Amino acid sequence: MTDVTVPEDLWDANKTPEGIVANWFYSDGAEVPEGATLAELMVEKSSFDIAAPAAGTLRIVVPKDGTVRPGSVIARLESG
Amino acid sequence: MSSNRQLTVSRAMAEAIALEMRTDPSVFVMGEDIGTYGGIFGATAGLLDEFGEERVRDTPISETGFIGAGVGAAMAGMRPIVELMFVDFFGVCMDSIYNLAAKNTYFSGGNCKVPMVIMTATGGGYSDAGQHSQTLHATFAHLPGMKVVAPSNAYDAKGLMAAAIRDDSPVVFMFHKGLQGLAWMASPEEAATAVPEEAYTLPFGEARVVRAGKDVTLVTLSMMVHRAMDAARALEKDGIDAEVIDLRSLVPLDRETILQSVAKTGRLVVVDEDYRSYGLTAEVIASVVEKDPGLLKAPPQRLAVPDVPIPYSRPMEQFVLPNAETIAAATRITLGKAG
Amino acid sequence: MPSKAQLLWMYEAMEKARYYEDTMATVYMEGKQPKFDIGAGTVPGEMHLAAGQEPCAAGVCVHLRPEDTVTAPHRPHHVAIAKGVDLNRMTAEIFGKKSGLSGGRGGHMHLFDPAVNFACSGIIAEGTGPAVGAALAAKLKGSDAISVSYIGEGAANQGATHEALNLAGLWKLPVVFVIEDNAWGISVPKSKATAIADTSQRAAGYGMPGHHVADNDTLALFEVAGEAVARARRGEGPSLIEVETYRYYGHFQGDPELYRPKGEVEALKAKDPIERLRKAMLEGGEITAEEADAARDRARQEVDEAYAFARAADYPAPEEALTHVFA
Repeated sequence: MTDVTVPEDLWDANKTPEGIVANWFYSDGAEVPEGATLAELMVEKSSFDIAAPAAGTLRIVVPKDGTVRPGSVIARLESG
Repeated sequence: MSSNRQLTVSRAMAEAIALEMRTDPSVFVMGEDIGTYGGIFGATAGLLDEFGEERVRDTPISETGFIGAGVGAAMAGMRPIVELMFVDFFGVCMDSIYNLAAKNTYFSGGNCKVPMVIMTATGGGYSDAGQHSQTLHATFAHLPGMKVVAPSNAYDAKGLMAAAIRDDSPVVFMFHKGLQGLAWMASPEEAATAVPEEAYTLPFGEARVVRAGKDVTLVTLSMMVHRAMDAARALEKDGIDAEVIDLRSLVPLDRETILQSVAKTGRLVVVDEDYRSYGLTAEVIASVVEKDPGLLKAPPQRLAVPDVPIPYSRPMEQFVLPNAETIAAATRITLGKAG
Repeated sequence: MPSKAQLLWMYEAMEKARYYEDTMATVYMEGKQPKFDIGAGTVPGEMHLAAGQEPCAAGVCVHLRPEDTVTAPHRPHHVAIAKGVDLNRMTAEIFGKKSGLSGGRGGHMHLFDPAVNFACSGIIAEGTGPAVGAALAAKLKGSDAISVSYIGEGAANQGATHEALNLAGLWKLPVVFVIEDNAWGISVPKSKATAIADTSQRAAGYGMPGHHVADNDTLALFEVAGEAVARARRGEGPSLIEVETYRYYGHFQGDPELYRPKGEVEALKAKDPIERLRKAMLEGGEITAEEADAARDRARQEVDEAYAFARAADYPAPEEALTHVFA
């Protein structure tokens, strides 16, 4: 099991505490390859893509339009 | 490769362009803010990094110049994709589009071809007022010599873009801003779809029956496919079974699919986000009536912008745009079930 | 040199425009957090703010009269304010309200106030032809009214600009073309969009004087614009002025500005033109800090009142969309 985590330094949380998940590019339960673009985050006016850190079965933790902070776990990838 | 990936329309367009650029060195892209920015509506995101400034060219604000240059480059053996940022901006460059791109094949007796794609953002609904919210479908479809497509979802967008790039005629690719799946603009869930990773094309002039039904035919395209589907779901609760047809392209127009559906249902509602008069709604109805006026059991209904510029203020803008409720209401009228 | 009254007028117009834009930046985000949806909130749609560009508006409009025509582009608020557009009704228009300048039909890119002959529109370089036409009308009517056409440095590459410049030069019309060079056409820097560095040189090709104003200098622009306006009023023909100015915000609110070099905006703000004008005014000795503060406070109060007016106003009835298509 691998967490899909919002990098701590993705944006300045002092300035903008929260962002949202703008898009999921795979459905919950999908098999995803390592490196696949999983999600797009929107933080104030900027968007950031989040890549799969490993291959596995996607378990979405934060749904579309859900709020995230640096360090948030937005999904888990189950292996095998 | 797996096709369980759900892409937004903007990413599907960019992927289609990238795949063609990898295999065909004659394909290049130019337009305003299509490089570093990746296109204001995301249609060229990532292309500059992969292909560099020679093939992904930011232009000055000079549409007559660079669209005219697209025509010249196409006639000289390239396959340019030019972006007209908003379709509303065609006013400053239409000569290059309809007098050059659209006519040079004919004027040359078929001896010259103009294999270019003009991609352009359409549509309103987010209070951008009358110079940034039009669709202008009919303006382009009316003028001979251009193929005109307007997809409603990511799968279609990718396949139609690839087909547009490979086509030897000019293709106007009209993408609705509200379908792009941009993080900063609301988009219907169904616009993002599973999209295969490999290249594929979809033929022009083949409508898609999005929802089969027996009581009434709803014909539309682009954003209004989603509004019509919302209407169809609401009508279903009243026991009305609507067939929804996504035309996907205006030129060529798949009249056959429309006729087959109307032959079955006998009732027709046409929905377009363009102006009402002299437009797609009239063309679809005329196509049915000139074939066989007996096909219709009731007068057809059409929903479109009521021949006024798109207003800025939200209540007025929402009033002039067709929506699920107005589509459902028009459908009930054709069925004689108006409350 | 500007008179004391002119200095205070420019300062007040610039403070008003700045406070207007900074307020708008905050109001615009109402209803757009945490999810930024451009169509949501108190003020929906595209929003182009002009903070940093105030000298271009004040330094030229200080020479104008209500009967003079001004056309502005998609980033119009500072110019509208300096031209004396009704601030309450302008703000109500931007809020999409019935009491707005156009009853909510136009929004922020389409502000029309015939009382002061101001109009703006959303497509690049579109105002150049109408400015020429208003100048032609003045000439035909025997009036000494003039026109000012505001465009951005990006619009200087649009065909309409060149055709309008030639017409104005050919017919010696009373037009002042003002290019606000804020260095960016959305994400494209001027160096990647314009074949020459100083666009005012193009004036020579159209038979008119060209002026370049460096580094957003209000007082330098005041002098140059005064000359150009006087020349137009005397019937001696058009002029072209390019002003190097600053864009503090993105192209539109929602622009991630990833193309912009880090620190650029901070460096520009360190030489803020309003602060520079205030300092010069006070050093000139004719104006006291109290007088300047009073002008600034007056400006801010007027802006606060305009926003309050707009908030309290009613939305139009949906069916009003169908009216005013024809005269």
